[in-house]
Amino acid sequence: MTYRQARWEEPDIWDLAPIRTGDSPPAIPGIPEKLRRKEHIRWPELSEQEVMRHYTRLSQMNFGVDSGSYPLGSCTMKYNPKVSEMLARRKHAVELHPYQPESTAQGALELFWRLERILTKVTGMPEVSLQAAAGAHGEYASLLMVRAYFRDRGEAEKRTEVLLPDTAHGTNPASAAMAGYTTREIPSRDGCVDLPALKAAVSEKTACFMLTNPNTAGLFESEILDIAETVHGVGGMLYYDGANLNAIMGITSPGRMGFDVAHLNLHKTFATPHGGGGPGAGVLAAGETLAPYLPVPRIVKQGRKYHLDYDRPKSIGKIKTAYGNFGLDLRAYAFALTHGEEGLKHVARRSVLNSNYTALHLGKFLPRPFRTLVKHEFVLSGSPLKELGLRTADLAKRLLDEGVHAPTEYFPSIVDEALMVELPETESKRELDHYIAAFERAIHDTPENLRSAPHATSVRRVDEVRAARQPLLTWRDLRAAAGKAQTP
Amino acid sequence: MPHWISNDPGEEASMLNALGIKSVDELFTDVPKKARLGRLGIGPGHEEFEVVDTIDRILNRNRTLTQFACFLGGRITPRYVPAAVDAIISRSEFYTAYTPYQAETSQGTLRSLFEFQSLWTEMTGLDVANASLYDGSTAAGEALLLCRRVHEGRRFLVPASLPWEEKSVLCNYGTGPGLSVEEIPYDSKSGCLDLNFVRAEIAKGDVFGVLADVPNGFGHVDEGLLELKSLIGDVPLVIAADPLSLSTLEPPGSYGADVVVAEGQGFGMASCFGGPLLGLFACRREHVRAAPGRIVGATVDAIGQRAYCLTLTTREQHIRRSRATSNICTNESLMALAFVVYASLVGPRGLAQLQVELAEKARTLASALGGIEGLRAPRFDAPYLGEFTVEVTRGTAREFLDGVERHRILGGHLLKDPRPSAGAQPEYFLAAATDWIGDREIQKYARAARTVLTSARRSA
Repeated sequence: MTYRQARWEEPDIWDLAPIRTGDSPPAIPGIPEKLRRKEHIRWPELSEQEVMRHYTRLSQMNFGVDSGSYPLGSCTMKYNPKVSEMLARRKHAVELHPYQPESTAQGALELFWRLERILTKVTGMPEVSLQAAAGAHGEYASLLMVRAYFRDRGEAEKRTEVLLPDTAHGTNPASAAMAGYTTREIPSRDGCVDLPALKAAVSEKTACFMLTNPNTAGLFESEILDIAETVHGVGGMLYYDGANLNAIMGITSPGRMGFDVAHLNLHKTFATPHGGGGPGAGVLAAGETLAPYLPVPRIVKQGRKYHLDYDRPKSIGKIKTAYGNFGLDLRAYAFALTHGEEGLKHVARRSVLNSNYTALHLGKFLPRPFRTLVKHEFVLSGSPLKELGLRTADLAKRLLDEGVHAPTEYFPSIVDEALMVELPETESKRELDHYIAAFERAIHDTPENLRSAPHATSVRRVDEVRAARQPLLTWRDLRAAAGKAQTP
Repeated sequence: MPHWISNDPGEEASMLNALGIKSVDELFTDVPKKARLGRLGIGPGHEEFEVVDTIDRILNRNRTLTQFACFLGGRITPRYVPAAVDAIISRSEFYTAYTPYQAETSQGTLRSLFEFQSLWTEMTGLDVANASLYDGSTAAGEALLLCRRVHEGRRFLVPASLPWEEKSVLCNYGTGPGLSVEEIPYDSKSGCLDLNFVRAEIAKGDVFGVLADVPNGFGHVDEGLLELKSLIGDVPLVIAADPLSLSTLEPPGSYGADVVVAEGQGFGMASCFGGPLLGLFACRREHVRAAPGRIVGATVDAIGQRAYCLTLTTREQHIRRSRATSNICTNESLMALAFVVYASLVGPRGLAQLQVELAEKARTLASALGGIEGLRAPRFDAPYLGEFTVEVTRGTAREFLDGVERHRILGGHLLKDPRPSAGAQPEYFLAAATDWIGDREIQKYARAARTVLTSARRSA
């Protein structure tokens, strides 16, 4: 073991300096005394250098794609190009306000428009909106569009169900429920949608079938055209969860496969950074039927001018304050422009090659529950570990000691003790071999070492059960728990 | 071509060889021929220098805010971002990480989010906060859903003066569960909530939540907020608060707020044409299990050291699926980091001082515009902080703003729903004080306003 993450005995920020109390903020003329804050916000007064050191130390206790391989399945943790970071910080990109007149923001609108044109090609759908902030946000908006469509057809009462496979991302059923639908799971057979089961489940109640393709088992749903026909046969809509687009970009497209509406995650496929959880950038793509329902505004080009169009009577309205996460959309455009036609196809081909190569090797250590031809990710079952009194989580923690990140664990739930592995196109063969070797060392380590892992991270195994049973969610909670006074 | 994918010609061959295949094509035999694409039709790739050149050329078609005297505000505000904020959020250990599922290797993200949650509860006077949502409007939408989870009813009341985007987002959040979003009228003189209306609607029943904002959509601070909770009793109260205003105003928890949401962009994020933004969300402890989004908790590791992890995850989509409190997976963690870094750099006293300065500039602006024929500035007589509403009484607000723009002034933004279906609306716009304006810019605005309105009279 050569890896060692930094560990700083860094105080919490509120302990870096005494918090001064007793003085109140200055009065603002006209503001009633009763509304005036009696005491300043309780937070320390720090120098810029103290703040820099504090967060620099915290950053050194963190792991990103730049630190090492990060094979979270369905998360597509690829390299975030630095040129995109540089461009997103240009003065002419950041010093813009969504309410400034269109004539003064033609560059921003043009950039949106150009990216949208590329995405119509990639999705094979005629209309695209960048308003969604993230993938789940796009799912939710898409289902609101489906809802509005059926309302217009007078079928709102009848179409109450959203169907999804048992391998669906958790956001799918959650978004469907938020949009007011009841959800029904379609069982998988050999990791793919069981077509006869789907045929038996669809009915006039079906509003939508939500599908990821390739799915979360890493398998391409080869019966996709029959699936589309089945759903359309009862008048339902077919929804594409684009989390796994990386595998098929330029090879096939949601439109080509028969989907009516789709979301993409630019923070996966188009390499914008994940930021420790966000911001993301979502894309909504719609076929002819649902396009009129996309959120307003839409970007249109009239002559040589770009314009925000609000005249869309069927639109569901707004799904967030502003249009698009401009800073992220700009990064995605730089990615697309760099790669171009052949590059984007190469992304898909190389990610699938990486995945099959890694699966071949990791398959020597743990069983692969489904067929061996996979797309951009694959699933292993950690069930043999149980014979040693171990679990998938132990292996995942032990991998952290190797200076790599763990795969997604316990998902999809149809696989016992699942590990879902995705090493995107930006991982070289050397990095893949390094990961394979790390995996081999980890799985062959002693049960004691696996059970007590990790050892090389800034903290040892974290007691998540205790965190949930006795929630300590703020510094006041911490102080109260420590038996100190509530106030500093 | 970029070196984002290894160009080593031996690599692919050796991987194919290991797989016992001749071509990558063989890995796509599971994609039916009928679903295959020919060409995408997006053109060839480019070298890095060409991409930089192309994007710079496009960006240079923008005019930046500092090329104008800028009075734009509202929920998204142009405010200077100290260089140190970007220095911290540019550390790639932070920005290239994913959601901290593996806590042991993600303490940096987790600790900074815990600090963020702690700060937002301090600012709001509530007990718990989540680790961020997409933006202020979706945070309000999630608050609506929380209210419905903890209280019966079908009706949610919001100020008629709420920005139209937020009303539209709230309506969308209400659509699924079949909830209606209804408007509370404002007093035409003060711009404040009509509390008698609220009282009457509560008496009618079926209200599961009330939202009010501070400052309100007109920029004004409504003293009636202090009475709101006593009027609505056990109906949950949501306050949408501007974070900077909380440096000098009472924390909403102290006057009965059950949920406080906000748009956090003004703390360490450039306005960046509206994204990324930052949704903030705090609530009372008894509602934490009904709350949306990621939450970070403190705990210990195997050897008793303090450690942090994502917690109360049984609320969330990846565990609870269709019964989750929200579909949130991605949030705005990096922006939450920017928020807490900004507040720590400026400090509580610096924040209050900034609010005082912006309020002073806004008062100077109001007196400069207030005397001009054709404008009512401020339109309402309630107190305000850094922004207020102006009514254009000669010509339309659109014409006025277009007119001053020709004098290199971004005079404010229209308080109008731009959808044709919205119908006739008052000629109001919101004018805001920003970091970059001083007396010179204010006087320039006043001169331009006079010129524009004089020519409007001539043409009328």
